[in-house]
Amino acid sequence: MLATVLYEQDDHRWIMFGRDANKPDGIIDTNQYLIQSGNQAILLDPGGIELFAPMLSAVLKYVPAEQITHLFASHQDPDIISSLGLWDQALPKAELYSPWLWESFIRHFGMESIRFRAIPDEGMTIQVGHTQLQFIPAHYLHSSGNFHVWDAKAGILMSGDVGAAMEPTDAPLWVDNMERHAPKMKKFHQRWMPSNDAKLDWIRRVRQLNVKVMAPQHGRLFKQPQVGEFLDWFETLPVGIAIK
Amino acid sequence: MSAPVFITAASISAELHQAMMEARGLALTAKNARALAVRAGSRTVGFRAITDFIEELASAIIQQSQAINNDAEHLSNQAVSAWRSDMANERFHWVRAQNSTHADSISGRILACEQRSGSLNQELQHGLRRLIDQLEESRKHIRTANLIATSSHVEASSAGDFRGQLEVIADNIRETAERIGGHLNRANALLSQNHRERKAAC
Ligand SMILES: [Fe+2]
Ligand SMILES: [Fe+2]
Repeated sequence: MLATVLYEQDDHRWIMFGRDANKPDGIIDTNQYLIQSGNQAILLDPGGIELFAPMLSAVLKYVPAEQITHLFASHQDPDIISSLGLWDQALPKAELYSPWLWESFIRHFGMESIRFRAIPDEGMTIQVGHTQLQFIPAHYLHSSGNFHVWDAKAGILMSGDVGAAMEPTDAPLWVDNMERHAPKMKKFHQRWMPSNDAKLDWIRRVRQLNVKVMAPQHGRLFKQPQVGEFLDWFETLPVGIAIK
Repeated sequence: MSAPVFITAASISAELHQAMMEARGLALTAKNARALAVRAGSRTVGFRAITDFIEELASAIIQQSQAINNDAEHLSNQAVSAWRSDMANERFHWVRAQNSTHADSISGRILACEQRSGSLNQELQHGLRRLIDQLEESRKHIRTANLIATSSHVEASSAGDFRGQLEVIADNIRETAERIGGHLNRANALLSQNHRERKAAC
């Protein structure tokens, strides 16, 4: 499992895990993120059950288990959180932040000790260490109950399935050319994202943020100017059109 | 290697469910036999007494099957918890062996998992033992049912015109008892194999 530090300022760090060359075949490659601040840390979209052991091992290179106090699941998909039953035994004191809509579904992955913290539809702000993190609504992108994570201090937006591309595990980490990258995202966004209205509303809100890095759950990450280029591309892309 | 306990327990539960359905059929047979015996009058007093007995027996088998069924289901749940705990533990051990900087910070969880697995496995052992005893109890009922079937035949032979019908009923009892016995035997075989292998593994 590859680990890359995306941001580091004093004891505030963003680490991305992914590009797992050893992952079993047939499983979609995912990016997992750890945000550390002081003696607390949050794992964003910790991933599928098959990835649990390499993920835990990779995470423990940066932070002891007891300091992983928070988990976040942007939505209910298995590639996001089917590892929950195992995290539940590894981090019994942790809290899981996830859309209220999915609580009774996510519990099917197994949750005896971890506490479920329901994120209301309008989103919320939490404190991890001395960092404020905002859960930003991203409903219908693609899941009908879905949030992204905004760290204003680091300027990083974890954008879940938005901006996702399916690529081999040895693909570069950053999008360097939107023209060449866009075709790799097109079909996924058109098929997975059901609502043009939701898409435009999200773009409007994200443009108001000063996003330096956009970090999706699959594929490459975006820096400026590619973040802006992505928003422009997404804006004109008709989505939810698979039935046509 | 034996099937995981949760599969064994679920299979036992299925066998017991079948046994219970058969026992319901047996209760119905007893009711029919009683009606017939009443019509046959004084020549079948002995048979009528037997039908009461069969009804009691059928309801005892139904009750016991339900109890075993519940126990097996509970056991199946426990076994799933034990399996989950073992699965987590296996991964924790792998993670610790990778020697990450903070790998030792999960040692406490390994210990907790092992304690949990230990006590769950012990509970499973006890539960399986209890199931074996309960099944043995049920098999006594089947032996009784066979005795009843034999005496029904004897009673039927002195029932004049009703002899043929009563003999059918007596055969019915014997066959149902055999089928219930078959389910119990299969449940028992599943159970003792699993129990033996778990004991050997501990
Ligand atoms: Fe998804
Ligand atoms: Fe995804």
